[in-house]
Amino acid sequence: MTTLLKSPAIGSEPSAKQYATFYVGDLLLGVDIHQVQEINRQLDVTSVPGAPDFVRGVINLRGDVATVVDLRTLLGLAETEKTRDTRNLIVHSGGEAIGLWVDRISDILEVSDHEINPTPTNLDGIDNRFFIGVYLLETELVVLLDIDQLLTGKPAD
Amino acid sequence: MEDDDDLLIDFVMESRDHLSDMENQFLQIEQDGENINVDLVNEVFRGIHSIKGAAGFLGLTKVNDLSHNLENLLNMMRNEELVPTSAIVDVMLRATDTLRNMILDVKNSNDVDVSAHVTELEAVEAAAAAAAETPTPSEESDPAPSAPEAAAVPVVSEPVPEVVEEAPVEVAAAPAKVAEKKSDAKSAPAVQGEANIRVSVGVLDSLMNLAGELVLSRNQLLQVISKSETGGMEGIAARLDQVTSELQEAIMQTRMQPIGSVFGKFPRVVRDLSAKLSKQCDLVVEGKDVEVDKTIIEAIGDPLTHLVRNSVDHGLELPEKRQANGKKATGTIYLRACYQAGKVRIEIEDDGGGIDPAILKEKAVSKGVITAESAESMTDREAVRLIFAPGFSTAKEVTSVSGRGVGMDVVRTNITKLGGTVDVESTIGKGTNIIVTLPLTLAIIPSLIVQVGADRFAIPQVNIVELVRVTEAERSARFSQVKNAEVLRLRGSLLPLVRLNDSLHVGSDDSFEKSDKTTDAINIIVVDTGQARFGLVVNALHDSEEIVVKPLGQHFKDCRCMAGATILGDGHVALILDIAGIAAEENIRSAEELDAANGTADDANKDNEDQQAVLLFQTSENDRFAVPMDLIARIERVRSDQIDSVGGLEVLQYKQSTLPLLRVNDHVTGKSADDLSRVYVVVFEVNDREIGLLAPVLDDIRMVSTLVDTVTFREPGVIGSQVIDGHTTRLIDLFELTEAAHPHWFEDREAVVSEKEGAPPHILLAEDSGFFRNQVVKILESTGYLVEPCEDGQIAWDKLKSGQYDFDLIVTDIEMPNMNGFELCRHAKDDARFREIPVIALTSLAAAADLQHGIDVGIDDYQIKMDREKLLNSIRNFVDHTKAASTQRKTKTSQRQTQKLVGSH
Repeated sequence: MTTLLKSPAIGSEPSAKQYATFYVGDLLLGVDIHQVQEINRQLDVTSVPGAPDFVRGVINLRGDVATVVDLRTLLGLAETEKTRDTRNLIVHSGGEAIGLWVDRISDILEVSDHEINPTPTNLDGIDNRFFIGVYLLETELVVLLDIDQLLTGKPAD
Repeated sequence: MEDDDDLLIDFVMESRDHLSDMENQFLQIEQDGENINVDLVNEVFRGIHSIKGAAGFLGLTKVNDLSHNLENLLNMMRNEELVPTSAIVDVMLRATDTLRNMILDVKNSNDVDVSAHVTELEAVEAAAAAAAETPTPSEESDPAPSAPEAAAVPVVSEPVPEVVEEAPVEVAAAPAKVAEKKSDAKSAPAVQGEANIRVSVGVLDSLMNLAGELVLSRNQLLQVISKSETGGMEGIAARLDQVTSELQEAIMQTRMQPIGSVFGKFPRVVRDLSAKLSKQCDLVVEGKDVEVDKTIIEAIGDPLTHLVRNSVDHGLELPEKRQANGKKATGTIYLRACYQAGKVRIEIEDDGGGIDPAILKEKAVSKGVITAESAESMTDREAVRLIFAPGFSTAKEVTSVSGRGVGMDVVRTNITKLGGTVDVESTIGKGTNIIVTLPLTLAIIPSLIVQVGADRFAIPQVNIVELVRVTEAERSARFSQVKNAEVLRLRGSLLPLVRLNDSLHVGSDDSFEKSDKTTDAINIIVVDTGQARFGLVVNALHDSEEIVVKPLGQHFKDCRCMAGATILGDGHVALILDIAGIAAEENIRSAEELDAANGTADDANKDNEDQQAVLLFQTSENDRFAVPMDLIARIERVRSDQIDSVGGLEVLQYKQSTLPLLRVNDHVTGKSADDLSRVYVVVFEVNDREIGLLAPVLDDIRMVSTLVDTVTFREPGVIGSQVIDGHTTRLIDLFELTEAAHPHWFEDREAVVSEKEGAPPHILLAEDSGFFRNQVVKILESTGYLVEPCEDGQIAWDKLKSGQYDFDLIVTDIEMPNMNGFELCRHAKDDARFREIPVIALTSLAAAADLQHGIDVGIDDYQIKMDREKLLNSIRNFVDHTKAASTQRKTKTSQRQTQKLVGSH
C-alpha cells in the first residue's frame, strides 16, 4: 500500500477493463462490465424457502426466473433498508443470470490490470477470496469483485 | 414384424440423409480429379459404409452388395489408389441413383437386379488394382470377355486420358434394365418419405419456449379481462386462448415419440439375461404406440432397464423351481404401457415367486432401514414397498449409465424427478407387478395455485387428490395428534398434515392471519406422492393454471421442497412445490402406520352399513338437498351474471363451451333460491354431455347412510329423503332431473332397447343395500330388462347354480355379507356353465386395489352405483355381445347336430 497509482483512465490500454461500480452500504464495489447484462428496478423478489441466507429470492426477468443475491449478507455487512436508489444489477455467472441487490449504482471505470492493487487484508473483515483487488479513486477506494468466485466458488479465469 | 418395420423406417430416413448430398459430393470429387480431397471422399465413404452396415443387418442383400462395391472404390480413392475420372464417377453416380431408389422402395429392394452395377464397379476396381500392380497402359487393351470392358482405370501416377472417351458408352448400355426399374420404382415411394421430417431439437425447444410465453401472455390477458369486463375484448381473448392452446398442443405433439423406441431393446435384454441366469422367459410387450415426450423417453430408459432386469433376475424363479410349484417352466414378463388419466402408466409384471414381506422386513431391520417396532406395525403392502427404501439395495455403486448396480431407491428417485411415481404389488407365489406412472410431458403442467403466508405456490395437479375444507366448528372433531404428528380424520382414516406455513418457514402475513380467522375454515390439499398421502394446510386457494416450468438457479439445489418456479398471469414468480421433497423433509408417516398407532381408529364408522359420500347444499333455508359425490365431475364457483339465458335455457359460458344449467326448483317442489352474487355449479355428465346443477349454498361433503326413505318425498328427480344433522335432506336423482329438463336427450336410448326382439335380457342382481337394490331394479326394469334381485352373493350364487334361470348378465355389489362380489364372480367364472356370463361390479368408491382384485377374479366391468347412464350403456354392450355370441353358439351346435344326424344315416 505504498505506491498509490492515480490513473486518469484516458484511452484504452490493451489490458484495460471497464468496471461497473456500485455501493453496498458504504463500500464501493466494481464488477467487470462484460459480465453485466443490465441494471433494473425489478425489486419484486419472491423469497424461496430453504434457500441459503444470502439469496433474497427470485425475480421474473422477462419470462425467465433469475436468482437475486444479497451482497450484504454474502459479504457480511450490516443490513440497510430498500431505498429509491436500490437496484438489481444483473450479471452472468455460471451460465445463468443472477441479480445483485445493490444500494446505489455509481460510475463506469476503466482500469488497467497494473493499476489494480492487492486487496488490503483488513478490509472490513471480509473474506478476500472474493476480490480481484482494489483500485484507488481520488477520495475513495473501489473494491473489484470476482463475481464467479463470489457466486459459484469457482475462480475467474 | 413391427420391430423390423420401425428399424426399416429409421434406416430409410438415415440413408436418405446420407444420400441427399451425395450427388453433389460425387460431382465435386469428379471436379477435383487428381487432387483428391480426402476429407470429402471420406465423408462419402462413411455415408455408404453406414448404409452397407445397416443393410447387412436388415438382410437387404442387394443394397448391401451395391454399397459394398461403392465403398471399395471410395476406399481406393481415399487411399489415392484410384483417380476419380468422369467415367468412374459416372459409374458410381449411376450406382448411387439405383441405391437411392432401392432405399426409397426398400421392401422390394431385394428384387432389384444390381448385377450390372456390381459388374461395372468390380471392373473398375479390378482394373485399378491391376493397374496398381503393373502400371502399364497395355492392360486396358486386354480383352475381358466375361465382364464389360474395364471402365477408365487410370492410376494416380499415370493417367490415361484416351480411355475416358469410350468408357461412358460401354457402361451406358449395361444399366438400361436398371434404368427401367428405376423409373417405376420412383413413382411409388416418393410419398413415403414426406410423412416424416426431421426437426432439430433446438428449433423445437425455442418453439416450446415461445408457446410457453404465449401461454403466459394469454393468462395475463385473461386475468385483466376478467377484471375489467370490456365487452368485445372477451371474444378476442377467447380466440387467443383457443389458438394458444392448440399451438401448444401441436408443438407438444412434435416432441411426442412412441414409447416403443424404449421398449424395443428389452427383448434382447431379457433374452441375454435369462440365458445367462439359465432361466426361461418370454417377454410380452403391449402398448408400444403410447406416445410420450422426448425428454421422458430419454430419461426413462435406464430406470426401465433396471426394472426389467430385476424382474428376470429376482422376479422369475429357475425353471425347475417353477415346475416344482406347478407352473410352466417358462416365465412371462409383461411390459405394458397405457394412458391413464392424462398420465402414462407402465407396468412391469412377472409371474414369478413374488416378494415375501416377512423376509423383506427382516432384511430391512438387519440393515437398519427400519426399527423392529415399525416393522411389526407395518402392513404387507408397505413392507413390499421397502424395496424402494434408500439403503436397502445391495448395490454398492451408483451409476446412471448401464442401469446395473443401481438400487431400486435410485430408480425411484429418477422417476420422481420426472414427476412420476413408482409402486409395487406382489403376491407370494403369483408374481410381482411394478407400476410406474409418468406425466406425458414435463414442460407445461396443470397446477393449483395456493397462498401460504404472503406468497403463492403452485402444486402440480398430478399430485392432488382432493381439497378438504374444515370449518371452525368441525376443527376439534377432525384434527388430532398421533405420535406427535398432527392428523386429519378423513372418511374413517387418518391423514398426516403438514402446515406449509411452518414447514416452509414462511412468515405469516398479517392480513392473511386475519382473513384466516374471519373465514374460520382451514383449507387442506390432500396430495399423493405414490408412496405417501398427506394433507397440506394452506391459507387460501387460488385458480388452477397451466404453468410453464422454469428451472431454479444453482443456488437452490439444496431446496428439496421446490421443484422449480413459474411466472403467474400477473407477472409474479411462484415456486412449484415438490410434494415428494416435502414428504421426505417432513418424514411423513403413511396412513396405515398412523391408523395402526391410533389403534382402533375409526372402527365405529366401519360398521356393516353401506355408506355413500354426498354433497349437501341448500336452495333455501328449508330446502336441503344431497347429490352422490361419485357422479360429480367437479364443482365450479361462478358469478351469477355469468349465467345467460339462451332460448329459454339457462347456460354458463365456460371454457369455450356452453354448459347447460339445471335449477332444482324448476322441476322439484320447493322455494326458489334468493339471488346471490356468486353460486356454485355442480358439473356432472349424462351421455357424455356435461350439465351443471345450480347449488346456491354448499354445506358439506359427508359420508351418509344409504338408508333412504324412498316414499315420503319421492317425485321425479328426487330418489327419497333422509335426516342429516337434524334436517330432512332430499337426495337428488341427477338423471331423472336431467330427463325432466331435456327429455329429448334420452330418446335414443329408449329406441335402442325397444328394438330388441324376443325375450327381454335376464339380469342377476346381487346387492345387499335395499336402497341401491331398489334403485337398480327400477332403472333396469324401466329400460326393459328382466331383473332377479338377490340380497347377497350367496343367494345370487344359489339362484345361478340352481339352473332355473338363463341369465345374460350378472350385476353385483362388492361388499356384501355371506358372499361378496369377488367370491360370487370367482364362483361363476370357475364354473364352465356360467363362464361366458359377463359380470359387472357396482361400487361406490372405486379403489385401485379393488379394481385390480376385480380384474384378477374376472370381473368384466366396473360401474359406479348411481351412474345410471353409464351402467345402462355397459349393460347394453355386454348383453348385445352375449346375445350375438350365444346365437352364434346355438347355430353352431345345431349345425353340428345336423351333421351328426346326417353322419349317422
